[in-house]
Amino acid sequence: MNVNITKDGAKTLVTLSGRLDTTNADQFQTDITPLMEDSNPDIELDCTDMEYTSSQGLRLFLMLQKSVSSKGGSMVMTNMKPQVKEVFDITGFSNIIKIV
Amino acid sequence: MKKKFDPIEGRNAEIIESVMNCPEVEGLSEDLKFKIRLCVEEVEENILDYSGSTWVDVSVDGSTDVLKIVFQDGGVEFDPLSNPEPDINAPLEERKIGGLGIFLCKQMMDSLDYHFENGKNVFTMVKKLN
Repeated sequence: MNVNITKDGAKTLVTLSGRLDTTNADQFQTDITPLMEDSNPDIELDCTDMEYTSSQGLRLFLMLQKSVSSKGGSMVMTNMKPQVKEVFDITGFSNIIKIV
Repeated sequence: MKKKFDPIEGRNAEIIESVMNCPEVEGLSEDLKFKIRLCVEEVEENILDYSGSTWVDVSVDGSTDVLKIVFQDGGVEFDPLSNPEPDINAPLEERKIGGLGIFLCKQMMDSLDYHFENGKNVFTMVKKLN
């Protein structure tokens, strides 16, 4: 799992690649913690190369979404692979996180 | 494939890859392998979090049309299938993460079974292959 975070003005782009699972969820949490400190977050998570997530990853996407929503910010996940999208659909996460 | 992992601590990746690379699994479709990887990780994570066992036995049996994966551990008796299902329609503020792993297994496998036998938790997953 590789996480690349870049800032473009007020917008934050998070590029995810590889598998997000129990072996790297703690590192991912560390990576995204600074994003939860933004006062007016505007975050895009580009999932083009994210191959997999387990419930360990879902937990962290939920945490980030809750943080963003509590500040009135916006968060969107883009270019999700169908198999990964299925995990979000089955768990109802597609209803609480914007996926385009 | 049948393998004992003792101790279990810190071997998440090794356990998952042992299943993914075994002959019964490695030739399956990418879609099936995605689901198998996810369910193996969720069950293993459940054992690590709740059973307290220091070891786990993992066996994989495959035929042309069915794959069966069995986990056995020596921890405290715990039926993960007895947990209440998560409310997947709850609004964001009320969403909880607990129980999602086994819920995903229920959706992605064709059958799950748990029983406690000879002091061991025995958890079985079956996936149809066609």
